[in-house]
Amino acid sequence: MNAATDQLIERLARDGETVRPLRSPVVRATLALIILALLSGFTILMAGDITGLRAHYAGRETLLAMEMLAMLSTAIVAVLAAFFASIPGRSRRWLAAPVPFLLLWFGLSGAGCLADLSRAPPATGVVSGRCLLFIFGTSAALAPWLIFRLARARPIEPLPVALLGGLGIAATSAFILQFFHAPRLTMIDLLVHIVAVASVVGILGLLNRPLLARP
Amino acid sequence: MTTSGNEESGAPLGDLLVAAQHGDADAYRAFLFAVIPFARAVARRRCWSGDMVEDVVQDTLLTIHRVRHTYEAGRPIKPWLAAIVVRRSIDAVRRRERLGRREVHDAVALETFADPAANEPTGADNRRSVERMTASLSQGQREAIELVKIREMTLADASRASGQSVASLKVNIHRAMKKLRSEFGRGDGE
Repeated sequence: MNAATDQLIERLARDGETVRPLRSPVVRATLALIILALLSGFTILMAGDITGLRAHYAGRETLLAMEMLAMLSTAIVAVLAAFFASIPGRSRRWLAAPVPFLLLWFGLSGAGCLADLSRAPPATGVVSGRCLLFIFGTSAALAPWLIFRLARARPIEPLPVALLGGLGIAATSAFILQFFHAPRLTMIDLLVHIVAVASVVGILGLLNRPLLARP
Repeated sequence: MTTSGNEESGAPLGDLLVAAQHGDADAYRAFLFAVIPFARAVARRRCWSGDMVEDVVQDTLLTIHRVRHTYEAGRPIKPWLAAIVVRRSIDAVRRRERLGRREVHDAVALETFADPAANEPTGADNRRSVERMTASLSQGQREAIELVKIREMTLADASRASGQSVASLKVNIHRAMKKLRSEFGRGDGE
């Protein structure tokens, strides 16, 4: 046995005060999602344009429902996956869990854009900047809570946790954006949405260590 | 304490860690000691040197200390432990590779003298060898060997430099070579 290792163990055993074990990732993710849902619901009820959304999707309610369900599923599964990824030894499959929902979301959004194109000439895409700012702003408002909850686990591999958390936040922001959106979406708008989501995920990914790797 | 705490206490690793989470220092010590063989075995699969394996084991112990609150009682402990050791092993390998890329051996960086021959790593060794070999010679013989055989001066120049006559230089060289041959057992002439 290495003497330095022996000394290290003695020191750690001396410093080993009581710690509160974390609850299961499902419970922790559910609590985090409830808080996110309350914040999102409050924002939508206070300032969202639910009537405008209904009018825009009149006759295409199924598409709207599927698109929003895909967004919501991406957010929920990404947040759940982030909590699982933050605990050592959990299945690596969680890392890819949100991908099908993400693809479904962008696919349905693309279908929505094409439907808009067939109904009227494409808009100028001036709403893109506002969408970008909205997703950034909402993500910035929601992220601290989720990061705080995820950091409790002190993930040994913070990058995937940050990426998944970022995706969960960006998808939630995009979901809320639906209630504030301009009536017509162009392909440029969709691309801006994708860039916005990718940027939020990328920024949190870049900041993974300072945000999550607590000493 | 250098024995496996797990064997001593007879408790499963998971139970020891749960007790450690509740502040039981003895259980924690036993758990950490019991973890070492497993950590070493997992680390050996990814690390190629003994030093690296020990670094990984110590990093693993520190990480366990930092994240011991993430173990959920009742769940299998081996996947939890293995994930930590594997992560620390990957970090160690990457760290070693990064260092390897930065620290390039550069022979030019060892040069300190304007004379290229003086920078040859073997030059100093050769000089020490000659000094060792000629240590047993007399002052006159050593001087004659150094001037004529090593510095390759002519007999006339060596005579002027040393003050010895040409004849005495020849005699000293002859005796020195004879002595060196007898001492170092070489018969291949001058």
